[in-house]
Amino acid sequence: MIALQVVVGGLLLGAVYALFSSGLTLIWGMMNVVNFAHGDFVMLGMYIAYLAVVALHAGPLVFTLLAALTLSILGAVVYYLLIRQVMRGPMLAQILSTFGLALLIRYTVFWFFSATFVTLPGSALGGSIKLGGILIGIPQLVAGILAMGLTIGMHLLLTRTTLGSQILAVSEDRQAAMLMGIRPDRMQALAWGLASASAGVAGALIATFYYLTPTVGESLVLIAFVVVCFGGFGSVPGAMLAGLIIGLIQAASAYYIGPVYKDVVVFALFVAILWVRPQGLLGTV
Amino acid sequence: MNSTILLKAHKVSKAFQGFLAVAGADLEISPGEIVGIIGPNGAGKSTFFNCLSGELVPTRGSVIFQDMDVTRATPEEHARLGMGRTYQVPATFEDMTILDNVMVGAFLRHAHQANAREEAMRVLEFTGLVAQADHRAKSLGTPGRKRLEIARALATGPRLLLLDEALSGLTPLEIQQAIALVREIHRTGVTLVIVEHIMEVVLTLAQRVIVFNHGEIIATGRPEEIANDPKVIGAYLGTGRRSRRSAAMSSLDGHSA
Amino acid sequence: MRRGWLALGVVLLAAPLAFQDPFYERTIALVLLWAVLASAWNIVGGYAGQVAIGHAVFFGVGAYLPLLVYTHWQGVPLLGIPVGIAISVGIAVLIGVPTFRLHGHYLSMATIAVAELIRLLVTNWEFVGAARGLGGPASGRTIWDLSYRSSIPYYYIFLALFALVLGFTSWMEQSRMGYYLRAIKAGQRAARSLGVSAPRYKLYAMIASAAFTSLAGSLYAVMLGFVDPDSVFGIMVSVQMVIMAALGGAGTLIGPLVGAALLIPLQTFANSLFGGQGNGLTFILYGGIIILLSRFEPGGILEIWNHYLARKARKGRTE
Repeated sequence: MIALQVVVGGLLLGAVYALFSSGLTLIWGMMNVVNFAHGDFVMLGMYIAYLAVVALHAGPLVFTLLAALTLSILGAVVYYLLIRQVMRGPMLAQILSTFGLALLIRYTVFWFFSATFVTLPGSALGGSIKLGGILIGIPQLVAGILAMGLTIGMHLLLTRTTLGSQILAVSEDRQAAMLMGIRPDRMQALAWGLASASAGVAGALIATFYYLTPTVGESLVLIAFVVVCFGGFGSVPGAMLAGLIIGLIQAASAYYIGPVYKDVVVFALFVAILWVRPQGLLGTV
Repeated sequence: MNSTILLKAHKVSKAFQGFLAVAGADLEISPGEIVGIIGPNGAGKSTFFNCLSGELVPTRGSVIFQDMDVTRATPEEHARLGMGRTYQVPATFEDMTILDNVMVGAFLRHAHQANAREEAMRVLEFTGLVAQADHRAKSLGTPGRKRLEIARALATGPRLLLLDEALSGLTPLEIQQAIALVREIHRTGVTLVIVEHIMEVVLTLAQRVIVFNHGEIIATGRPEEIANDPKVIGAYLGTGRRSRRSAAMSSLDGHSA
Repeated sequence: MRRGWLALGVVLLAAPLAFQDPFYERTIALVLLWAVLASAWNIVGGYAGQVAIGHAVFFGVGAYLPLLVYTHWQGVPLLGIPVGIAISVGIAVLIGVPTFRLHGHYLSMATIAVAELIRLLVTNWEFVGAARGLGGPASGRTIWDLSYRSSIPYYYIFLALFALVLGFTSWMEQSRMGYYLRAIKAGQRAARSLGVSAPRYKLYAMIASAAFTSLAGSLYAVMLGFVDPDSVFGIMVSVQMVIMAALGGAGTLIGPLVGAALLIPLQTFANSLFGGQGNGLTFILYGGIIILLSRFEPGGILEIWNHYLARKARKGRTE
């Protein structure tokens, strides 16, 4: 029974991982840019949720939408002001730019909130229920289901709508897309907005069942990397599958080895993946 | 083992996620030849080239160079065995000087800086770039960059040189100079395979021409024969250019104006 | 050119004489230490253009080994140096072999992940002191303990180390390895077509970089007499190495020294002004500097200086 609980908990968390990781993989596959600040975008989503509750007494729907909206605007702004120029330059500049952004965001929030942990005050999503003999926290359940739904939604958006096809077209063949009248610049900004929104929503969801700390972005971005590498770079379905698996592995490690080791195992797994199968489950290097 | 064949490609195919860029290409180059490869855009010439030089691993088939199987060998192994190449879009080391660019090539056979420098200077003289040795590569225009790429590849002491559209984008005068250089290189004993766009260049330089279309070799022969081959003329007049289309793009086509 | 180096050498040798205050003496010792670290990173990050952001792992391993030798076997801390280097090189190979075959992003991610991984492991391992860390000899038992009260001997130790790294880098610049690394940075694809084995040379650079970082870490631990996971394995160490080299001029010989000379006093100043929060502020500052550098002048201060000189030369010619 405990094992089943661990599995379910891991899968629910993994769904959230899948949500923000699919944003990272979209950008990477599309523009060969890795957003090192992606974890801090998730963190911002968490804090936006917190501020919305504390200042506006907002409910979950409102603060989630607020996080999505704010982060999507931030993503587009970052693209236009920074990424677009830096993409044309040397690799050092490309990698350092988002890394510097990560530091800036992370420690600006740290400046205001310092290292004290906060939690989302008394939300309507407290408590737990018993399903099939196992105990599941309601916020985790809702977050997991929503995250899964949104990730699937993102995949459908990309593959079944015109807009999505346009984004994918730029990702596959820029020149051909331009010949079709698609503006790569606009599509890339849109992709950044979408990816950042997915990070923001994931953050808002996490805030409902986990404590907030400004530096959480550092380990979240690493988890996103592992998920993206494992799932295959550029593949949203890959990120979905890999996210669930990583969530599972984390939950199992935390339970069977020790809570500290949930990150250690994931990072060690990362190095192993690099040695054995860098293209991941569903990708091509 | 037939050692009068320098380079042999046997049924080389290359597929990218379901799209067949090169389909079963066969090629044999003997030492001392100048062979031209022509074909319309998208015919698979560059992909085939990349399979020969080691930058791509063929999906099927094999590449034998100097009696050694290099099908899966890395580009650097190709270079060490004596195959050099240039790029369609020049990839010179922009912020390094022209001399330093060529020295990178020279270091392959000369481990010490002094010897590499000497060899590089010799190659710069040969290719007419010695006056600009200390300028940055980015100060050169396109023809200069193409020449630098050739010099750089020559410094590695190749037996076979693959030139990828080395003469495109040049003025008629520059083309004449480039042709003269290629002939000089050939005189030193280097075998050449030249991908070209410009028919006249190929007809002037090549002893033998291979024509690609839709990823396949549709004709080979002497330049005069090829120029009058109806299949070749038909290919260039464009009986359907193939381009890589994905599901995303095909669906968009239905929506575009 | 030669005179410039001579002048620099004289300045560096004589610097401690200009300061009587132990605070400043310590500051210049730290400037040199970080110049060494930034120069070490520069080998793989500046010259080869491979963006590793986890060098803290080499620094930390180098720092822990001497104090481990002392704590568990009462040995001379210096004996830990070769072991530290060996382990660091091993880690460099572990990370480098798979990632140097792949696109640059993988290296960056792998280095961050491994540094974090080791930090977590060390924090939870009793043998190495867990979160409390390890201490060194309270006072020198023999001359080999290198235990000094003043910062000045350490300044000269770091100066010697800096001369070593600089010497290596200078030699490398003119050798085949240097040309190959620059070619890899300028255009890996073309470099490979010229016979440059990119994965191999990148690995060489990484190994050299890791070894020097480890050595510096060991000497730092000997100076401080104390290490703990967060101070030597933390991301601050990695970031500082990168930003100092990049700010001064990645891929140049003295860029790292310039960066260190600018940022260490700045950081010390910020720390004394803002106390505990100083660390957070430093990161904000670093983040901002890194963004501005990448966006506007990836070549750093030396590149800006070159532009300025070129403009002056042009103006001189037209007058």
